[in-house]
Amino acid sequence: MNATFTGLELRRVFRDYVSMFFIAVLPAFFYLIFGAAQSFGSEDAGNGNVSMYVMISMAAYGAVTATTGIGGMAAVERMQGWGRQLGLTPLRDSGYVLMKAVVAVAVAAIPITLIYLLGSLTGAEGSGGAWALSALIVFAGAAVFALYGLVFGLAFRSEAAVSAASGSLVILAFMGNIFFPLSGTLLTMAKFTPLYGYVSLARYPVTEGYLVNTSDGTATHEALWVSVLNVSVWAVIFSLLAVWLVRRGRARQ
Amino acid sequence: MHTTTTTPAAIELRGLVKTFGSPGGALVRAVDEIGLTISPGEVVAVLGPNGAGKTTTLDMVLGLTAPSAGTVAVFGAEPRRAVMAGRVSAVLQTGGLLRDITVRETVQMIASTFPEHAGVEEVISRAGLTSLAGRKVSKCSGGEQQRLRFALALLPDPDLLVLDEPTAGMDVSARRDFWDTMHADADAGRTVVFATHYLEEADAFAERIVMIAGGRVVADGPTAQIRSQATGRTVSADLPQTDAAQVLARLRSMPQVMEATTQGHRVTVTSGDSDAVARALLGELGASNLEIASGSLESAFMTITAAPDRDARTEQEVAR
Repeated sequence: MNATFTGLELRRVFRDYVSMFFIAVLPAFFYLIFGAAQSFGSEDAGNGNVSMYVMISMAAYGAVTATTGIGGMAAVERMQGWGRQLGLTPLRDSGYVLMKAVVAVAVAAIPITLIYLLGSLTGAEGSGGAWALSALIVFAGAAVFALYGLVFGLAFRSEAAVSAASGSLVILAFMGNIFFPLSGTLLTMAKFTPLYGYVSLARYPVTEGYLVNTSDGTATHEALWVSVLNVSVWAVIFSLLAVWLVRRGRARQ
Repeated sequence: MHTTTTTPAAIELRGLVKTFGSPGGALVRAVDEIGLTISPGEVVAVLGPNGAGKTTTLDMVLGLTAPSAGTVAVFGAEPRRAVMAGRVSAVLQTGGLLRDITVRETVQMIASTFPEHAGVEEVISRAGLTSLAGRKVSKCSGGEQQRLRFALALLPDPDLLVLDEPTAGMDVSARRDFWDTMHADADAGRTVVFATHYLEEADAFAERIVMIAGGRVVADGPTAQIRSQATGRTVSADLPQTDAAQVLARLRSMPQVMEATTQGHRVTVTSGDSDAVARALLGELGASNLEIASGSLESAFMTITAAPDRDARTEQEVAR
């Protein structure tokens, strides 16, 4: 583990104000608008209240924006020649991946910390277990989306593609039941999209699997395996795509 | 500098082959059985047209690409080991830099990967970048970025420095600046191998030239010898008013003469031994107004590198 290298990588990300806006400021703002400022924010939702439910959703959105961007940029940097420069140093591929992973986790921690802090100050309430466990799941699940960014970077080889990947998260977040509670056909479709399983798992400590239908107020229960299966399948898909793209890139060398 | 009791070659290539699959499915031999030994302390230019296999060969020397066949040894070790030990480093033609960090940060980053390295400020100053150290890489010119790559290459204090077209795309003054920097830093005993398009660079900086064309070594020798090998020197003189055809026949019968032509009274002879030709012309043939011109490296280059094209083997045949 190379502290100087990792530190400089971190400094690079923090200096990129545009990215930091989308990673931390925007999701925090979303939380304040859709969570804290709403009259129903203090209503009960399982092991917490609605504000907490929105807080977890927005923290998850910020965290995946961070990891997608870092995963994507790592792929693009390596292919644009930085990989050749690093090939002239004793740094191994595994060491490089480890440092990027540390950076991704550190950066994902920013929106999580910021939004959880805002949550605690603006009326998000829940059991201690729900706070801790949800934060942990948001962290761990965000790692899967480093692979999502990596796939975009490997496939399209440009910074623009990485921006597109981060941008596409907005759509995936809508379709994945993050921003707005879906119901009916949309909810059925949502269960197949990549962010659905992740955010459902993160909210599970609060909701224990209950989904509230926004039109009639009835609650339905969804088994835990639905979210777990969703996350697992998408993790496998992203991993296979990443491996295939790395092999394709190597054959071209 | 590292010291060794026995001194293996700086670079030892044996039967080196690299094939690539092309989109059409045929195999392309980018490097086709290159054998080459470069001793410690040599300054060698690798010359060749685009697509000759220079970069691919140097990539294999640096362990960035694995050979399809043959062996590479750098100071007797596997290339990747030599890189890990800091014995070899390079200025790459397409070595990407991170655009959003400063010159100093780039040097710090690469320095941190070496267990032992030269000082960050020291290499920045040796590459002439002290005044630019705080500048973002994206704001540096092509020549400045190349000097930064040079600074990075100095970090491990390598015994072998590989430069792959270090001045490609620079204007004349930037090229001169770059080579001045290189020279100012010329450590006695450091082996330098550089690929270039610019013949004058090879002429001015290399003791030895290796010409590569079509993935093969087509010429290898001291710079002066390569220059004479292809075209030799041209000797021209005015012929006396006798039978020009007879003089031409006499010249062409000489073993040292490669080519002899006449234009009016003036004869032009290309030869590897201009002294013998001059002696014959001025002596027995009674010629006057003799001039001897040295063959340019440019024409040597054209003559030598054009050769493999003439008996161009189709790649499909090779692949089969």
